[in-house]
Amino acid sequence: MDTPSATPASRTFNVPATATSAEGAQTLIEIDNFDFYYGAKQALFDINIRIADKRVTAFIGPSGCGKSTLLRCLNRMNDLIDGTSVKRGSVKIRSIDINGRDVDSIELRKRVGMVFQKSNPFPKSIYENIIYGLRIQGVKSKSRLDEVVEKSLRGAALWDEVKDRLHESGLGLSGGQQQRLCIARTIAVEPEVILMDEPCSALDPIATAKVEELIHELKKQYTIIIVTHSMQQAARCSDQTAFFYMGKLIEFGETRDIFMNPKNPQTEAYVSGRFG
Amino acid sequence: MTTVSTNTFASRPSTGRSLEKSTFWIFRIATYVILLAGFAVFGDIVFKGSATVFGAFKTTSSFPYFTNTFLTEAPESLYVFEHKGEKREMGDTEYRAFREKETAAALAAGKPAPVFEAASYVYSAGGIWPCIVGTVLLVVGSMTIALLLGVSSAIFLSEYARDGTFVRFVRLAILNLAGVPSIVFGLFGFGMFVIYFDWNVSLLAGWFTLAFMVLPVVITASEEALKAVPKGFREGSLALGATKWQTIQSNVLPYALPGILTSSILGIARVAGETAPIMFTAAYVVRDKMPWDVEKISDFFFQGVMALPYHIYVVSSKIPQNEYTSRVQYGTAFVFLGIVALIAASSIILRNKLRGRYKW
Amino acid sequence: MKRFFDSELETFRSDLLRMGEVSIRQVRDSLKAVVEGDIGLADQVIAADDEIDELEKRIDNEAIRYMSLRSPIATELRLVIVGMKASHDLERVGDEATSIAKRAIRLAGEPPLKPYVDIPRMVAIAIEMLRDALECFVHADNEKAIAVVKRDKEVDAINKQLYRELSSYMVEDPATTTRALELMFISKSIERIADHATNIAEEMVFLYEAQDIRHEESLKKTGKVD
Repeated sequence: MDTPSATPASRTFNVPATATSAEGAQTLIEIDNFDFYYGAKQALFDINIRIADKRVTAFIGPSGCGKSTLLRCLNRMNDLIDGTSVKRGSVKIRSIDINGRDVDSIELRKRVGMVFQKSNPFPKSIYENIIYGLRIQGVKSKSRLDEVVEKSLRGAALWDEVKDRLHESGLGLSGGQQQRLCIARTIAVEPEVILMDEPCSALDPIATAKVEELIHELKKQYTIIIVTHSMQQAARCSDQTAFFYMGKLIEFGETRDIFMNPKNPQTEAYVSGRFG
Repeated sequence: MTTVSTNTFASRPSTGRSLEKSTFWIFRIATYVILLAGFAVFGDIVFKGSATVFGAFKTTSSFPYFTNTFLTEAPESLYVFEHKGEKREMGDTEYRAFREKETAAALAAGKPAPVFEAASYVYSAGGIWPCIVGTVLLVVGSMTIALLLGVSSAIFLSEYARDGTFVRFVRLAILNLAGVPSIVFGLFGFGMFVIYFDWNVSLLAGWFTLAFMVLPVVITASEEALKAVPKGFREGSLALGATKWQTIQSNVLPYALPGILTSSILGIARVAGETAPIMFTAAYVVRDKMPWDVEKISDFFFQGVMALPYHIYVVSSKIPQNEYTSRVQYGTAFVFLGIVALIAASSIILRNKLRGRYKW
Repeated sequence: MKRFFDSELETFRSDLLRMGEVSIRQVRDSLKAVVEGDIGLADQVIAADDEIDELEKRIDNEAIRYMSLRSPIATELRLVIVGMKASHDLERVGDEATSIAKRAIRLAGEPPLKPYVDIPRMVAIAIEMLRDALECFVHADNEKAIAVVKRDKEVDAINKQLYRELSSYMVEDPATTTRALELMFISKSIERIADHATNIAEEMVFLYEAQDIRHEESLKKTGKVD
């Protein structure tokens, strides 16, 4: 742990070992002057963010502020909605513009996985759920599939709970287990980035704590972006936080700064629960 | 009584309350009338029809030692005549054999050949086996075609097509198709398949005509079933890098299938009872050969068949009506109801089975 | 269930304990400097106060950070709040030790006024109180905490007695005034240290029992509380 006297003025509060420091983290995703439309309605206005590699970034803001929209732009899930369009700016992952002509959204989604608000295990066995992504990629080898299933379930801290019933339906699991199954399914295809769209909004506090714990573990290997309505959740699990309001990015910075010393009065009002 | 006045919730007479009572009874009586009518129709058919069907059980000398001539024989003319003072009823084949035997016996005995004065009633003897076979063939074939076309179109409309004027127009057209009278489908099938494609009156023409008739039901039902599959299954699959078709094939269609099958099969059962579409396209009044008696496979598709609804129509339109024809009518209607019920039941069983497997 | 940020609380606790250890060492060393007239040791004590100050700042930062990011409640919330208060008390203890050390330097040039008996006794009690208070923190020992609160009176009594004694020295021989005053202040500092130990003990009762026992008259009198 570094001593406060050694820290520059901008880092008033020292960082315990559990938080990654901003220094040394590389930028993975660059969003520049990004404008996004649903039909004629502009949903995102001039977004500029640098998202660091192997860290957890939280998107917070009141409902309809554009945080989920931006999240879904990162793996082009919005392509599935009629009439959406990027009018200006770019989203670059490892310096590649993901909206470029030569980018295949299918390939992109293999690299940028997504976990949804409502846990959505397929009505198949736990095993089949995990290998779904590999199956569609044409992987047939039984030993390889077995290996991936164990690795992914361990990665999602679910192995010990389900190892004896891998061939039972994934729908037989509790809500929190289902959500972790979805996370396991996502990491089975070995993405670089995991997008989480309010992953805990339907879970009880214990299940939520387990998922948060998991997020904390996962950031060693993956870059995680999480949309959340819970300020506490953003505070607990993220390293960086972006606050959105009415389609605009209001403030973006280290989570501790956003929650202890927000620069913008709107951010302060939101994180202290006075609006939104 | 002071205690009553303290009860705020005590009943008070009003126009609303009396109206309530009378409307309740109107609705109730309407329901009972319908129920009664239903019972009358079914009761009539079941009562009269079962007499025909169950009266046709005969014992045989070989396994399984009984047979039902009504279900297993082809229709024949019925001959009613008087012989040696008693009234005899015989089917065509039996009557010919009987006549030859009697004539031969008389000649052998040196007597003059007996004169048979028989009244004949068309199709009132024998059974309806070819009609059953024909109907089953028509149902299976048209169902296959309708499902293939209908489900493909439903997938296109609900999964691929972007919602716009075109799709709305297509949906409207499909809905309108459902309102077209069956005789118009019959004429369309006749003009299109029988004349223009030169398929003649054939199974194939009947299949396509029936399939087109049931398509609106299949498409609408399939779209509903596809829409009922949670969005999360699609998103979850797509987010794992699956293509649209991979997603639909492995993660949407299997879960929509129970719904698609149930509604479609019920729709098919409905059109299987239609006479109009097949009378110009696929149905024969009578046909001696069974459908599988063909020289080459391709002939199978280009032959006409007998069918239960058309048989009922043919028999019923014989004038004058009499006790013998009405027996066949009711028997056929009873069997036909049984087959429809069987199809419906099988669809429900299938649905329950699939639902059990794909539950969410 | 363990949470990923539980380690932060562990760090927080161990920082607080470390601060306690350093404070006790400071008090002990400052007394030694007085008794042995060891200027070097006194300088060391004065220099080491920075360490306590840093620890206090660190604990406060950790507490604020924990409160804003982890939204603690119940025992955790009390731990964080009590931690902040206790660290403040310990910081004051460190300050008192520094002040004793400074007086030790001034006393070192002069012959001792009298053999140091009462002051070492007071310090021993104060250190014991501090240690007990910290042990309450470690072991959640409520009884011991109340015992600490009660012992405060012993120190007060010695302080008063010393005050009278030193006053009489000054009356008898005005030349001793400077030394007697220094000793009086040292005695006062030790008495303050004992007060801080009492505060910490009270805070520990609040931490583990969620009960505020400050300014309870029953504890001030000798005899059983309950």
